[in-house]
Amino acid sequence: MKHTLKYFFSIGFLMSLLFVQAQDTIPNNSSLERTKIVGEIPEVPKQVTTKNATATKTDTIVPVKKDRYGVRVGVDLYKLTRGLYDENYKGIELVGDYRLTKNYYAAAEIGSEDKTTEDDRLNTTTKGTYLKVGFDYNAYENWLDMENIISIGLRGGFSTFSQELNSYKTYNAYPYWGEMPWKTSGEKFNGLTASWLEVVAGVKVKVINNIFVGFSLRMNMLITDKKPSDNFENLYIPGFNRTYAGNFGVGFNYTVTYFVPLYKKTVKPKKK
Amino acid sequence: MKKTLIVSLLFLFAFTFSSCEKDDICDANTPTTPRLVIEFYDISNASVLKNVTDLKVIGEGRPEGIVFNDATDDSKYVTNGSKISIPLKTDTNATTYSFILNSRNSNPTLIDTDKVTFNYTRNDVFVSRACGFKTLFTFDPLNPYVQTPIPATKLKWMQYISVEKSNIDNENETHIKVFF
Repeated sequence: MKHTLKYFFSIGFLMSLLFVQAQDTIPNNSSLERTKIVGEIPEVPKQVTTKNATATKTDTIVPVKKDRYGVRVGVDLYKLTRGLYDENYKGIELVGDYRLTKNYYAAAEIGSEDKTTEDDRLNTTTKGTYLKVGFDYNAYENWLDMENIISIGLRGGFSTFSQELNSYKTYNAYPYWGEMPWKTSGEKFNGLTASWLEVVAGVKVKVINNIFVGFSLRMNMLITDKKPSDNFENLYIPGFNRTYAGNFGVGFNYTVTYFVPLYKKTVKPKKK
Repeated sequence: MKKTLIVSLLFLFAFTFSSCEKDDICDANTPTTPRLVIEFYDISNASVLKNVTDLKVIGEGRPEGIVFNDATDDSKYVTNGSKISIPLKTDTNATTYSFILNSRNSNPTLIDTDKVTFNYTRNDVFVSRACGFKTLFTFDPLNPYVQTPIPATKLKWMQYISVEKSNIDNENETHIKVFF
């Protein structure tokens, strides 16, 4: 139920992204139309001397727009605060990106998690670290000096971790002898690894000066998964989150980041 | 062009959420802890299955017998077939059952009871997140079962018990043959 609810919220977030995208296109179109009209009006009075026309041209000086380039570093607040209310969870994720071109950013996340998963018949603890490296493409066209980001990106993720089976229940389809109690195991599997691909949809908004808040939704696809043994499987992978029957997974983060500007680049006006 | 690409990517993203399967519920068809499968044969013709008469099977210390059918009255505790499946305890290495033949006979002298203790070792095997573990059994090679008639002065109605499979891994095979 908890998971199902999570998906509902996730889809809600995605929908809100689409709205933002839809909002974006309207002003562009209308401004296009406006310039067309402006362009047409001087055509009508043909008698006007050319001197006037040159005078109007000098009026339209476009202010020089500069993009700031630099490094953005921050932390995932969700993972950081979850440890306060969820005694089964301790984790941290540091995030960072570096602006490569106007729209492309190199992005990475590095984190560590210690999570105890309580399923109906299994209780396991997973500990490990992970690294995700990739890029974000900013699809949002900012006005003036705004620096907001609505991005879609790709990551490659890798994790090394251990998994401990704390306790388990045997499934008994015929409980004639009554419900069997939990059995403690304590069996620990070290040196596990996994790698995966993530598709990331994210939003970052500048709140004050160089501080941004953002969230991202991730769809993960497991590529390699070193199983603990023939007799067991990875139920949680740090960075990838809960595993499912297939190779599919989901994730999200809620970040606060600080932008460190390094240099500026003049924006070239678009040729039309 | 770029925007349609992004929007379609987001849609693809959203749709993958709806395609995820629910894996928190253990599917009834998943092979989990197997029961002990017993078949009854004719002692005078060892290759012929023989139906039991009103056989009731009660685990030691349990108030009721094993339910064999969907009947609503007490007849759900008896079987007249030639094959039964009974669950073994998954927390100890021995399970004791009383096999009561002609259990519904009004004449108490015609009711035959044999008490059988099955001895085994257990191995817990991981199934899945939803099903947890299952327990597989291996009969004690020296002493797979102990059979006593009740009262002890009576003859055993199960005249011969044969262990066919010493590993109880699934319910698709007969583990024990009883001749009577």
